[in-house]
This record gives sequence, structure tokens and C-alpha cells, in this order.
Amino acid sequence: MISVNGVSVSLGGRRVVEDLTFALAAGEFAALTGPNGAGKSTALKALAGVAAVETGDVQIDGAPAGGLNALARARRVAWLPQARPVAWNLRVEDVVSLGRFAEAPAAYDGMGAEGRAAVDAALAKADAAHLAGRAFQALSGGEQARVHLARLLASPAPCLLLDEPCAVLDIAHQLSLMETLAAEAASGRAVLVVLHDLELAARYCQRVIVMDAGRVVADGAPGEALSAPLLQRVFGVQRSPTGQLIRRPR
Amino acid sequence: MSRLTIFLVLISAALFAVSALVGTAPISLGDSLAALAGQDDAATRAILWEIRLPRAAAAFAVGAALGLSGAGLQGLLQNPLAEPGVLGVSAFAALGAVIAIFFGLAAVSSFAVPVAAILGAGAATVLLVAAAMRGAGIVTLLLIGIGLSSFAGALMSLALNMAPNPYSLADLVNWMMGSVANRSWADIAMAAPALAIGAALVLRAGPGLRALSLGDETAASLGADPKRTRLLVIGGTSLLAGASVATAGTIGFVGIVAPHVMRPFVGHDPQRLLVPSALFAGIVLLAADIAIRVLPLQQELKLGVAAALVGGPVFIWIAARLGKSSP
Repeated sequence: MISVNGVSVSLGGRRVVEDLTFALAAGEFAALTGPNGAGKSTALKALAGVAAVETGDVQIDGAPAGGLNALARARRVAWLPQARPVAWNLRVEDVVSLGRFAEAPAAYDGMGAEGRAAVDAALAKADAAHLAGRAFQALSGGEQARVHLARLLASPAPCLLLDEPCAVLDIAHQLSLMETLAAEAASGRAVLVVLHDLELAARYCQRVIVMDAGRVVADGAPGEALSAPLLQRVFGVQRSPTGQLIRRPR
Repeated sequence: MSRLTIFLVLISAALFAVSALVGTAPISLGDSLAALAGQDDAATRAILWEIRLPRAAAAFAVGAALGLSGAGLQGLLQNPLAEPGVLGVSAFAALGAVIAIFFGLAAVSSFAVPVAAILGAGAATVLLVAAAMRGAGIVTLLLIGIGLSSFAGALMSLALNMAPNPYSLADLVNWMMGSVANRSWADIAMAAPALAIGAALVLRAGPGLRALSLGDETAASLGADPKRTRLLVIGGTSLLAGASVATAGTIGFVGIVAPHVMRPFVGHDPQRLLVPSALFAGIVLLAADIAIRVLPLQQELKLGVAAALVGGPVFIWIAARLGKSSP
């Protein structure tokens, strides 16, 4: 579905992603994790086509992503960034309808029946159907996060990239988000989600990719990728006798 | 067409009718209606068709151009205080016109002032577009606008200092205050192409402006082209501002106030804001011009002065409210 081969990205003259290589197949639900500053968000941006790739290449459906224009790319890959500004006090359904910009760049009222149905369905999946008609800036942080999630889900793109979608969500909504994403993957989409909650990643994702200092340091099934030596080396944590992750005494 | 747009169009039409019937010349309602229908005597018909209606059309067109460019620039810069003045385009249009007046070109051809104003706006546009093409962000464009405004202001002061005779000085001051009195169909025809192209460009940028609400990066990932949107708005608003300054001189605040009033009615959507802002600003200037003509003053109040008298305090109110909460 989507693959990166030897991709490097620099920001402000500093290499933040180095020789990144992995592939994500349709139907796969993978977590991308790693300590702060590991380059996860930048890697996601490179996949989404909003960060300039210095070396290597990104392939979407076997074709080089560099050859796709913005619209063609948006039809294949949808991205939920970590920073989610909304400049105006837009209506919730208009924010979500932007997820289908590549299909038809209309506001909710101007969309066809199919577009409106997709927006409604996405709002329902994100448990935000009751927020339709509300003004965005009057929502709580968690409600806004769910509207952004609905925006992502409204896109028909077969590949979904999410950057820390669980931040600011309450525990029930975190679990429901992971269930929703698992269902999207089961329906044939490739889903890559940046997560800090290793328990959540291990519980829902078939695969965990761990980055450290711009490089992939582990990639595999959760049990194998999040091995005890890796947890110690990369995250500085270990399992307590009761199974909890605790900070390793230095 | 939305219900709001239809409502605004109906109000505009009603105001055009009022504008044709109201004025200093004592013409009865019956005579006016007859003249509108093409009957009655030649003098009445001339007053209606050659004085009142072109004046009304100029007021509405200038207002609509300012409202549309204000809404477009606010969407682009994501700031409710933006208008052509902010980017220095109005100032350069005025500078172009002032140069035409200063060098006596206005006496050579009646088209000199409009052409010079559009060229002035065009010069500012080329600079802004060049900056936008090199990837300049919103803040850079605003700073360039401040520089352009100051520079144009300095050059206009220089022109005032060196004005060769009191006539040109009076002309200049008159014109800089902004007015649509004594505008002919020829003046409007001169501005029409620039207004039409400018409006088309800004309207094309509409969907991109909504996408830009989520920030440049997200907009790009959605398939929008932030750079193209920026170029469309800058090009379109320059044409609109140049043509409106050429037609009526500098009239401030309408371009800021109209989008601000219309925003709640369109769900704060920068695209759906465009047409209602244009219509509302047209209505405001047309109504202001009618009021000016009816006011029993010794000398007619200038439209730009009237707009500033009402718009200035509203502008300050909006700015003060912005200080309290984010836009």
C-alpha cells in the first residue's frame, strides 16, 4: 500500500529522520512509537507528502509518491497531524467535510448526498454525531479531537496516518478510537498511528514500529518489537514484578 | 444561491430604486418613475440615467469590490482586520492616481487616473506575488504591506508638498477623501474589466480558503494548493482594490466591517463569506451615498469621510474584542 525506502528528512539543517525503511500493507494496523524527538511526526509527514524528502523515496501503490500531485496524493493518503489549528469558528460538519476536499471541495451544505452520508458516518464513528451543527471553537479539547478524527475518517483514502490521536481523549474514547481504527484496518485500509501508550499499542495493533534518534530500531509483532532489552535501551523503562512499566533506576 | 444571498440581492435592488428617486434636483416620484420607464422629458431622464444611476452603480460596485477583497484577504491571512489597505495595495493604487494628478496627466486624458491607479495596485501586486512565489508566509506578506503603505504615504506627502498649483492640491485632497459624485458610465466601464477579473479570481480561491483554515500543511495534505490560493487572492484583490480606488478614491473600513458582520450568518466559513460580504459592502456604500445626498449640508459630505466616520469606531471595536479572544 505505502512504503518508504531509505528516507531521510532534515529540519532546520538537522537530520531528524535517517534511512527510514518500512512498508505498510492494506489491512494492516500498525503503531509507530518511540521517545520524544525520535522523528515519528516527521516520518508521518514524509508519508503524507508535507515534509520534503531528502534522500530515498516514498511509494504509494507501487508508484513513486513524488510523481503524484496534491489531489492524487490526498485521494490515497489521509493525515491527522499532531498540531490541529482551526482558524475560524467553523461549523463541525464543515470541518469534517474538508476530509473529502479531494473528492469535492464543498462545504457540508454544498456536498452531494454521498458526501454528506460519508461525513455523517465519519462523525458517528468518531462518536461526534451529536456535535453536528455546533461551532467548533465552542467544543472541549476532547470533542475537537474527535471532530478532527471524523475529518480523517470522512476521507475515502485507503491509507490513514494519525499523529497522537489519543492525546486529550478520555480513556473510553481512547479505547473506542483504537476499536474504530482496527475496524478501518479490517475493512482494508492501511492504518499507521503514532502512539505513546505502549499498552494500547500492544493491545490493538498487529505490528509496532519503534523509532529512536531518527531510525527504526524495532519492527514486528508487539511482543517481539517491545522486548525487555528494547524497552530498557530506548525508553529507559522496565516491567515491574506486577507487570507495570516503571522507570528504570539510573 | 443561498437565502442570505437572495435577501441581500433584493435589498440591493430596492436601494438602487431609492437611489434613482432621491437627490437634490426636485423631481417628483411620478416623473422619476416615468423617466425610469424611458418616458417624460429629456432633462429628467438625463438626471436619472446619467447622474443618479451611474453614481449608484459606482457606489455599489466599489463597495462590493472592497467587501469581496476584504473577505478574501481575511480568509487568506486568517485575520479579521485584513483588507487591501493591509497589503499596501490601496496605498499604491492611490499613489498611482496621485502621480497622475501631480504630473497633470489627469488633464490630458480622463482615463489617466484610473489607469495609473490600476498600475499602482499592479506594482504592489507584482511585489507581493513575487514574495508569495518564493514561499513567503502570512507574516512576511503583512510586513511587506506595512512597508508598501508607509512608502506610498511618504511619496504622496512629497507630491502634496510639491504640488505646483492649488488646483491640483484641491483635486488631490478631494479625490483622496473618496467619492462617487459625478461618476459617469464611462468611469464604470473603465473599471468593469478589472473588477470582473478580480472577482472571478477571488471567488475561485474560495474552497482553498476553507481548507487553509486547518493550516497550510493540513490543507496541502487534503489536496488543496496553498500557494495557488494565495496567488488567486493576492491577484484578485489587487485588481479589485486598484479598480475601486480608481473609481472612487480611497474608502476605508467597508472591506473590514462587511465580512465581520456577515461571518456569523455563513457559519464562519471563509468561502461562503465571499459573496455575502461583497453584497453587504455594496449595500452599505450605496446606502451611505444616498444618506449623503439627502443630508441637508452646505457642502456634500464625502463618501470616504462618511465611511470612516462610521467604520473607524467599528474597526476599533473589532480590534479591541480581538485582544480579548482569538479570532
